[in-house]
Amino acid sequence: MMSFLADYIYYIGAFGLILIGFYIILIKHNLIKVIIGLGILDTGVNLFLISVGYITKGTAPIFSGPGIDSEHMVDPVPQALVLTAIVIGVAVLALALSLAIRLYQHYDTLNLRKIREQKW
Amino acid sequence: MRKAVAIVLLIIVTVGISLSLAKIPFGAPKTKVGKRYIEEGIEDTGATNIVTSVVVNYRGFDTLGEVTVLFIAAIGLGVVLTTSKREEMRKIQPASLILYTGCRLLFPLILVFGTYVFVHGHLTPGGGFQGGAIIASGFLLIYLGCRERRINRVVSNLAESLGGLIFVVIGLLGLVFGGYFLFNFLPKGTANALFSAGIIPIVYIAIGFKVGSELAGIIDNLIEES
Amino acid sequence: MVNPVLLIAVPLGLAFAIPLFALFWKNAVKYIPPVALGFNLVVSLMLLSKVLENPVIVSIGGWKSPFCINLVAGPVGVLFSVIISLVGLLVSVYALNYIKEGPTEKYHMLYLLLLTGATGVVLTGDIFNLFVFFEILCISSYALVAYLRDKAGIESAVKYLIQGAVGSSLLLIGIGLLYGQFGTLNMADIAEKIASSSPISLFVPMVLLITGLGVEAAIFPLNAWLPDAHSSAPSSVSAILSGIAIEVGLYAVARVIFTIFGAQSFLLFLALLGILTLLVGEMCAFNQNNIKRMLAYSSIGQIGLILFALAIATSYGVTGGLFQLVSHTFSKALLFLAAGYMIYRAGSMEISALEGMGKKMPLTCLAFTIGAFSLVGLPPFIGFPSKFLVVRAALATKETYFFVLLSLVLLGTVIEGAYFFRVIQVLYFKGEKPNPGRKEAPVAALIPMFTLAVLIVVVGIYPKLVTDVLNSAASEFLNRLDYIRSILG
Repeated sequence: MMSFLADYIYYIGAFGLILIGFYIILIKHNLIKVIIGLGILDTGVNLFLISVGYITKGTAPIFSGPGIDSEHMVDPVPQALVLTAIVIGVAVLALALSLAIRLYQHYDTLNLRKIREQKW
Repeated sequence: MRKAVAIVLLIIVTVGISLSLAKIPFGAPKTKVGKRYIEEGIEDTGATNIVTSVVVNYRGFDTLGEVTVLFIAAIGLGVVLTTSKREEMRKIQPASLILYTGCRLLFPLILVFGTYVFVHGHLTPGGGFQGGAIIASGFLLIYLGCRERRINRVVSNLAESLGGLIFVVIGLLGLVFGGYFLFNFLPKGTANALFSAGIIPIVYIAIGFKVGSELAGIIDNLIEES
Repeated sequence: MVNPVLLIAVPLGLAFAIPLFALFWKNAVKYIPPVALGFNLVVSLMLLSKVLENPVIVSIGGWKSPFCINLVAGPVGVLFSVIISLVGLLVSVYALNYIKEGPTEKYHMLYLLLLTGATGVVLTGDIFNLFVFFEILCISSYALVAYLRDKAGIESAVKYLIQGAVGSSLLLIGIGLLYGQFGTLNMADIAEKIASSSPISLFVPMVLLITGLGVEAAIFPLNAWLPDAHSSAPSSVSAILSGIAIEVGLYAVARVIFTIFGAQSFLLFLALLGILTLLVGEMCAFNQNNIKRMLAYSSIGQIGLILFALAIATSYGVTGGLFQLVSHTFSKALLFLAAGYMIYRAGSMEISALEGMGKKMPLTCLAFTIGAFSLVGLPPFIGFPSKFLVVRAALATKETYFFVLLSLVLLGTVIEGAYFFRVIQVLYFKGEKPNPGRKEAPVAALIPMFTLAVLIVVVGIYPKLVTDVLNSAASEFLNRLDYIRSILG
């Protein structure tokens, strides 16, 4: 059991973050909390992507001096994917926060239950 | 009621994903694609940081897309937060002398460090995005510490568009000289030297300037509005 | 031979250069999107005749196939690229006069980047690249929906953004699971390796990918954002969102289902989902009093119809689905463009406020009527051969459940006809205001509307003009192995 936990701790952590992020987005009413939940969801997904690329006893894939062997380097592709995903996540969060500022100016509240101008 | 539905949904998602994760053991052996990038990375691109060669050279199109996404976010913020008239600035309490001087002292050092990170992106961990973020944090320090200073919006817009334009132009030059978009047409040099790896340092410098000025512009927009 | 990369690189470069233009020469900024999209249209048409037999495959950076990102300009990709650049060009000409207030150079930048993102989605052959361009499309549409900065716009943009961002996170988890299992991101490579893998471990990534892409493709129940977003955006943006963005989302869903997974067993569920979307869309559209909201719900209905046609998965079915997609793009764009000026003159979006517009703006209302008849499926407009092909495809399968679903499609068409005729009745046959006075829409708006109307009529009378392209496109979707072989050699 402990070895299972130790092996899969990164996956469990990543999915824990993802589930917490989903729960916040589904349940909370305040827009800022929902945006924070979006940020947590993004972090969880990025952590999951990085942990997919791990090789046991691997190091960073950088040939910093002569004679570094390439046997024990982790997979570089997920790291490139996560770089892109982090930037995209930042972009979405920045846009969301600016919309939240404008929404507060229009409605004087950030409660999503009360912001329902458009009905059916 | 809503909580119950949410929890049921999350349990379904968890079960589904755990079933699928059983096929991806943690610490699995290398994939074919990853192995090729590590083993032939230096000969193909000349950069010793394999992640950089993946980001800029093998998957450079994704980086172009990512640069575009950040550009769109900066423009979107400009659209949403434009004020039609310059309202007068609120009375901002000036910072104390220690804070003011300390920030002015730290700011050039932060800029130098950020520049180091993105210029050496192909040799050490780092790169355009990381260096740009560090530079933007230097600007944030100035906004928080020396409170009346603002960046010059014209220069920052110019840096943004020139950065993106240089990236696209380098790609098109690769098309002209090598027959493929983003082909590495400059000489690759010797590994581990500063001037090596063809187009990679140039692209990363352009990205570094672009991201730095873009994030600083985003911070400026948000602080102006509130 | 032209390199398909130019379809993405040139508009991207021009969009990055717009702030430089805005510094020196402000009046030229609004002409840059038509120039860029005109270039795209010319290049796509040049590519179209060449790709009908063999797709043009270029690799970015010059590496060999599974180790690089490649652009696959096949018949589907170039067909979509032609539609995107054509409709984008026409709507950008419309926007020359329609977008006057607010930060206009930012509008044009966002507009060009939205269409570049859409072109990137349809041309790429790599799944993470699909995600990146899909995000370009989505984020520019979030910003464009909020362009007018009024109460309705900001609220719709917030709801759209939250649902879209959750969708893209699901998409990214699905991509991560696929990479972890197969070790590659190239669509053809994944498709080859899927054959040797157990179905249960593929089910979860497929569901995640379809859910993530389905938020943008407006499949029920993921389309709660659509009515608000499409009705609160400026009308030229609504035309692009309804006409291009959701179709490109549906293309991505079809690409995932047909090419990557080759999932035959899932198709019946998708057909049911399509019919459900159709019925929900049409029934909600019937109850609307706001004309743009009505058109938005009608878009949902049409997407359901296209999904149903694609899920039939025979050659007739996929051809019919693609034809219906083309017809919806043209008709819905025309409807939104016409509605834009009608609302501007009437001052309100309620249908009752448009009484008597038939006398005040006869040309615009004629365009609206052509678009409405075409969407319902009357001859001689483009909607008729496309719906006929879908019906014929469903009948040709000879399965009872498809007959049942087909009857629901016909029910949906009847409801559609009812609410469109109600609008046309209000436009032409109601309300004699004492002093009508003709005040037509400006020329820059009439040119695109009439180009679309002419296209609708011409293709409706001679559908043979487009059926060869549609047939090759359908066979690209259905013949997975040819796709894999042409990329991996």
